[in-house]
Amino acid sequence: MDFNNPQELHHVLATVWFLIVGLFMVFYVVLDGFDLGVGVLSLFVGERRRKVMMASLGSIWDANETWLVVIGGTLFGAFPLAYGTVLHGLYIPIILMLLGFMLRGVSFEFHELSKRKTFWGAMFGVGSLLATIAQGFALGGLLNGVNVVDGVFAGSIWDWFSPFSLIVVFGVVAGYAMLGSTYLIIKTQDDIQANCYRRGQLLAWVMLAVGAVVTVWTPLQFPQIFARWLSTPNRYFFAVLPTLAGLSFFMLLRALKRQSEVAPFVWTMLIFLFSFAGLAATWYPYIVPGSVTIDQAASGTSTLVFMLIGIGMLIPVMITYNVYQYIVFRGKIDPDAEHAY
Amino acid sequence: MDWLHNPELLARAQFGFIALFHILWPPLTIGLALVLFGLEAAWLKTRNVFYYHQTRFWTQLFLINFGVGVISGIPMEFSFGTNWGPFSTASGDFMGNILGFETAMAFMLEAGFLGIMLFGWSRVGPKMHLFATGMVALGSTLSAFWIMVANSWMQTPAGVKLLDGKFVITHWFDAVFNPDLPYGFGHMFTACVELSLVVMAGVSAYYLLHRRHVDFFRPALKWAVLALFIVAPLQIFIGDAAGSALADSQPAKLAAIEAHWHTNKPGAGAPWALLAIPNQAEQKNDWALEIPDGLSLIATKTLTGKVIGLTHFKPDDQPPVWTPFYAFRVMVAAGVFVAFMAFWTLWMLWRKSEHMSAARISDNKWLLRGWLLAIPAIYAAVEAGWLTREVGRQPWIVYGLMRTSEGVSHLPASAVLWSFTMYALFYGVIGVAALVFASRMIREGPSFGDPPHPPITAHSAPARAHAKLATTEGP
Repeated sequence: MDFNNPQELHHVLATVWFLIVGLFMVFYVVLDGFDLGVGVLSLFVGERRRKVMMASLGSIWDANETWLVVIGGTLFGAFPLAYGTVLHGLYIPIILMLLGFMLRGVSFEFHELSKRKTFWGAMFGVGSLLATIAQGFALGGLLNGVNVVDGVFAGSIWDWFSPFSLIVVFGVVAGYAMLGSTYLIIKTQDDIQANCYRRGQLLAWVMLAVGAVVTVWTPLQFPQIFARWLSTPNRYFFAVLPTLAGLSFFMLLRALKRQSEVAPFVWTMLIFLFSFAGLAATWYPYIVPGSVTIDQAASGTSTLVFMLIGIGMLIPVMITYNVYQYIVFRGKIDPDAEHAY
Repeated sequence: MDWLHNPELLARAQFGFIALFHILWPPLTIGLALVLFGLEAAWLKTRNVFYYHQTRFWTQLFLINFGVGVISGIPMEFSFGTNWGPFSTASGDFMGNILGFETAMAFMLEAGFLGIMLFGWSRVGPKMHLFATGMVALGSTLSAFWIMVANSWMQTPAGVKLLDGKFVITHWFDAVFNPDLPYGFGHMFTACVELSLVVMAGVSAYYLLHRRHVDFFRPALKWAVLALFIVAPLQIFIGDAAGSALADSQPAKLAAIEAHWHTNKPGAGAPWALLAIPNQAEQKNDWALEIPDGLSLIATKTLTGKVIGLTHFKPDDQPPVWTPFYAFRVMVAAGVFVAFMAFWTLWMLWRKSEHMSAARISDNKWLLRGWLLAIPAIYAAVEAGWLTREVGRQPWIVYGLMRTSEGVSHLPASAVLWSFTMYALFYGVIGVAALVFASRMIREGPSFGDPPHPPITAHSAPARAHAKLATTEGP
C-alpha cells in the first residue's frame, strides 16, 4: 500500500471505518437483538413471566440500545453520504423503528412505576415488535438497493416495501426471538427456561429458511453478485461463511436438545456473525448496496483520521464497561425479588 | 394552512418540536447527577444514612427524567439523516464526527454505568458505586459539551470552507472551539445546574409547605439556595456576555432579539425596547416601550456604541422577530426571578437567626410558594432560551454559509406530516405519563429503607441520626 497516494490512503481509511461500523453493527444486532427478542416473546406470556423477562433487561437495555446511537453517530461522521441518503430512503421504517424504541423504552420505567402493569407490559412488547419489524423492513429495503443519483436519494418513499423485504422481516423477527430465547435460557429457570428450549427449535428453522431464501434471491436479483460469488477462486472463499453458518445452526439445534445453558446463545450469535460477514463481503466496497461505494460515501481523510484517533481508542474502553456491566449483573433473575430502583 | 404543504417548514417545525421536547429532560439529569455525586460522596464519607436517603430520593426523580431524555433524544440524531439529508451530507465531516464523539465518548460512558448506579447498590461495593455515579455525571456533562460544540458550530461556523457544496475542515481546533462555544456551552451547562437546583428547592418547598418530612427537606432547600445564590447571578452574567458576543458573531440575531430595526447613528445610542409590537413587513415596531441608549449599553457597554439594526440585512436574510424578541424576555424574566428568590431566601435565613442552620424558612409560606413557581419558570426559561437561539439563527442552518432551505431532504410533505404527527402523539403520551409518575413519586415522598452498605459501626452516631429521622416523619 502506498500511503503517499492520497486516494489509496483514503480508501484504506474508509475500509477501516467500514470494518469499525460493521463491528458496531454486530455488537448492536446481538445485544439489542436479544433485548428486542425478549420484548417480542413477552407478548405471548402472562404478567408473571413478563415481569421476570423485563427484569432480565432492566439494567442493560439502555447500554444495548446505545450501540445504535453509536452506529448513527459514526455513520454520520465517517460516511455522511450513506447516512443522509439511506435514512432518507428508509424514512418510514426508520421513523417506525424510533417510535418502537420510544414506546418500549418508556415502558420499562412506566411498567415499574405504574399501577397498570398489564398495559405498560403490553406496550413494551408492542414497541419491541414494532422496532424489530421496522428493522427488518429497513434491512430488506437496503439489500434491495437504495436508489441514489448524484448523492441524493432518487427513489420513492415506499421503495423499502417489497416481497423480499417482507421475507427479511420474518427472518429478523425470528432471529431476534431466537437470541431472546437463548438469552432467557441463561437468565431464567424452571418453566420460562423450558419454554425457551422448546420454542428455540421452531425459531431456528424459520431463521434457516429465511437465510436460505436471501442467499438464493440476492444473486438472482443482482447479476454482479452472481458473478462475484460464483467466479473462481471467489466461490471457495464465499462458501466458507454459509458452511460455518450451517454448522452453527446444527450445533444450535444440538445444544437446545441437550439443554445447555450458554451454548445456544453462543451458536445463535455465531449464526448472526457469519450471516452478517457474508452480507458485508458480498456488498463490499458498496456501503449502500448497488449505488454508493465506501470511497464515495466516506468523509475527508482528515476527518477519518481524527475520528480514528478519538473513537478508535475508545472502542476497547466501551467494550470494557459493557463487559463489566454484564459481570456485575450476572446470574439468574430472582422471580420474586422486587425490582426496585 | 399553507405550512401543511411546505416540507421545509414542516421539517423545521418537527425538528423544533423534538428539540423543545427533548431539552426539557436532560438538563435535570445533567445537573442532578452532580448533586447525586455530592450526596453519595457525603454518605460514603460520613456514613450518615441521612445522605443515603437523600441520594435515593433524588435518584428517583433523576431516573424518570433520564428515561424520557434518552428516548426523546434518539430521534434527534436520526432526524439529521431522515429530514436533513443534504445538510448531513454537506456537514458530515464536522457534525457527524462530533456526534460520533458524543455517542462513543459520552453516551456510552453514561449508559455503561447507569445500570450500576440505579440497580447496583447491593451488587458492587460503595466505592465502585460512587465511581459509577461519577461516571454517569461525567458522561452526561461530556455529552452536553459535544452537543453544544455541534450546535455552536452551526451558529458560528469556524475552521471550515465550503468546497463543492461540502464543508471541508481546514482547522480542527478552530472548528471545535468556535467563537460561540464558550458562551453556548457555559450558558447551557449553567442552565442545567441552575434548573436542577431550582427543582430541588421547589420540591423541598412543596414538602415544607405541607409540613411533611420537614427535617429531611429543610437541609435540601438550604443546600439548593446556597448554591443558587452563586449560580443564578453567574448565569445572568454569562447570558449578558453571550449577548454582547452576538453583536460580533450574529448581529442579525441580536437585532431580532431586541427588535432593533435601524443601526444607530454615530454619537447616538440605540434604545432598548422593553416591550414592543414588531412589524416585520414594514420593518419597524408599531409600538415600543423603550429605554434610551439601553441597547448600546447592554451590547457594547457604552452609551453610544453602534448596534447594527435589522434593516442592514436583506429581508431574505432576516430572522423572524416576534419569537426571539419575546422568548428572550421570558428567559430573562425567569432568570432574574430565580436570582431574586435565591437572594430573598438567603436574606430570610440570615435575618431570622444568628446561625443559618437554625433558621426556620419553612414558616414563610410566600417564600415557599415562590420556589414552587420557580420550577415552571426555569423550564420556561430553558425553552425560551432555545427558541431565541435557534429561531434567531434563521434563515441559516449554518450561519452565513448554508441556508435552511438548502439542507432539507426532499420528502413529500405528507411523509413529514405523518412523522410529525406520530412524534407529537408519542411525545404527548410520554410527557404526560412522566409528569404523572413524577408527581406521584413526589406525593409518596422519600422512603427510609436501610442502605445495602451498612454504616461502619452499628451503634455509632449515624445510626442515631437515622432513628431520629424516622420519628420525625409524617405530616
